[in-house]
Amino acid sequence: MPIVSVLAALLAGAVLILISGSNPIRGYAALLRGAFGSPYNITETLVIAVPLTLAGISVAVAFRTGLFNIGAQGQLLVGALAAGWTGAQFPELPGILLLPLTLVSAVIAGGAWGAIAGWLKAARGVNEVITTIMQNYTVIFVMHWLLQNGPMTAPNAAGTPASSPIGAGAILPIIIPNEIVPLSRLHAGVVLAIAAVVVFWFLMWRTSLGYELRAVGLGARAAAQAGIDPRRRMVLVMFIAGGFAGLAGMIQVSGLFHRVFDGFSAGFGFDAIAVALLGKNSPVGITLAAVLFAAFARGGTIMQADAGVSSHLVEVVEATVLLVIAAEAIVRALAVRRGTPAEALA
Amino acid sequence: MELLIGAGVIAATLRLATPIAFAALGGVITERSGVTNIALEGCMLFGAFFGILAADKTGSAPLAVLIGLLAGIVLAAVHAVASVTWRADQIVTGMALNILALGVTSYLNYEIYGSGVPSGVPLLPALNLDFLAAVPFVGGVIGHQNVLVWLALVLVIVLQLYMFRTVAGLRLRAVGEHPRAADTVGISVYKTRYAAVIVSGMLSALGGAYLSIGFLGSFNENMTAGRGFIGLAALIFGNWRPFGAFAAALLFGFSTALSFRLADPSVWPSQAVLFQALPYVLTLIAVAGVIGRSIPPAASGRPYRKQ
Repeated sequence: MPIVSVLAALLAGAVLILISGSNPIRGYAALLRGAFGSPYNITETLVIAVPLTLAGISVAVAFRTGLFNIGAQGQLLVGALAAGWTGAQFPELPGILLLPLTLVSAVIAGGAWGAIAGWLKAARGVNEVITTIMQNYTVIFVMHWLLQNGPMTAPNAAGTPASSPIGAGAILPIIIPNEIVPLSRLHAGVVLAIAAVVVFWFLMWRTSLGYELRAVGLGARAAAQAGIDPRRRMVLVMFIAGGFAGLAGMIQVSGLFHRVFDGFSAGFGFDAIAVALLGKNSPVGITLAAVLFAAFARGGTIMQADAGVSSHLVEVVEATVLLVIAAEAIVRALAVRRGTPAEALA
Repeated sequence: MELLIGAGVIAATLRLATPIAFAALGGVITERSGVTNIALEGCMLFGAFFGILAADKTGSAPLAVLIGLLAGIVLAAVHAVASVTWRADQIVTGMALNILALGVTSYLNYEIYGSGVPSGVPLLPALNLDFLAAVPFVGGVIGHQNVLVWLALVLVIVLQLYMFRTVAGLRLRAVGEHPRAADTVGISVYKTRYAAVIVSGMLSALGGAYLSIGFLGSFNENMTAGRGFIGLAALIFGNWRPFGAFAAALLFGFSTALSFRLADPSVWPSQAVLFQALPYVLTLIAVAGVIGRSIPPAASGRPYRKQ
């Protein structure tokens, strides 16, 4: 079924390319080439897949607990800001200290920001969709302030408002030598992402906490009857979700940009929702979906350059994937009498 | 102080509040019927793009507004079919429609206009109330506002009366509070919800058209930049009431106008941008129950299944 939704979306995209007077086959060929056509292109796709996987896990871990985390975007940015601050604040520390410090600060900052939504849901009954949307925009403007003329603004920075560069110890190394793939930017964040996928799997399916979280997701009232306090689990899971997203932000800083700038990693948190839904909130599914959407994003820029088809086509394809997934829930809702997964999510 | 709450800032507040108010009023209607529509943002973007595209192609501003509205209606209709008839997850559908609207408008903008923005398209006129020019403050505030600003003001009053003083308004609220009971007394839950969602798309699109062919005369990628979401915030802050939502839109418009005013190098530039976060922070505080308590319609976001 996920394959059907992707195919349907590609078909819808092809129609749009046709309407605008270009050749869909040429467009998609350029997209495919851009995503996987050379070792360099493959590494560029993976560079995008890394934060998408982590943000996808962030959304999925909340989904599994019955919460809709639209806030992965904001949590990612908070994590990036924390990483950028920590990395630049202690530039003389050796990597063995600074890298873990940067990572932990990003995870805790992202987690704490996420936990706010969990707490508001648990203690005040506020829908987490509303709070996370509001939190996303709050972060964007606070980030403008921090980077434009605020405490984190790099002195003498020209161009895009940005923070000071992080210390060498906070940088994640490039893992593919330039002799093998010239100019490759693929960094050790990919190892962290794979580790995070394993942690996600282990947490949810091999620990009692994961069991409790999934129990809350399947039915909060039933879980409460079984002695699991859903409200405490909601705060905790939003901390965990925020932590995964914060890690994505840290990886963007430490692996890729070595600083935070305005407009940083826009949209990953939203793509992450599509990743989690397409990947059925499972570890392997999320990883594959993240690579797919990363291929769209990377291939889209090449498609625009080579075939003259706007890279925004990718958003249309992505939205169609989501709509078909929503329709899939409908099909199942019609087949099963009650208790669709869609209702469990609401 | 004169500088900050002078006629100029208040006039800007009205201008900036108008698109938010349209989205918020649309949101009040759909939420009151029990359907959450986070695609207000996407509908607004559709209204903005297809409005200016139509203005460019037809050369008529009123016709362009109608076509912009139609675009918003189409997008909202998809949401209505998915969330009312098919009982799909309303957040997933809304999210998908927002991404779709962003993709379609950016894609078509690139394909049709390249990086250039159409210039010289017909715009919606402002109402020039010249007789007010002599009145000190008032003339500066409402003397030259766009027709859509006035429409928003009228609409707020009409919707408030409709919602709390008419039978139809009572029915709408009944569907959102207790659809089963409404159904039992013969109100069609599906029809009411369809109408409400479509009206929300139409009003949001009107807010978008105001941005492109009422206010700026141009279009750029993601032009609405979250105003639909601020509309969502405004309706929550305004406690799901037209007057309240409009008051919140004004407050949010004011915080943006203030941030622009403060951004002037001679005033307080370094902190000005923080004021733009104010709508969201205030809404977070409001939903947390610190100031008053915002309580959504009981059946908001829940699909209804007729028995």
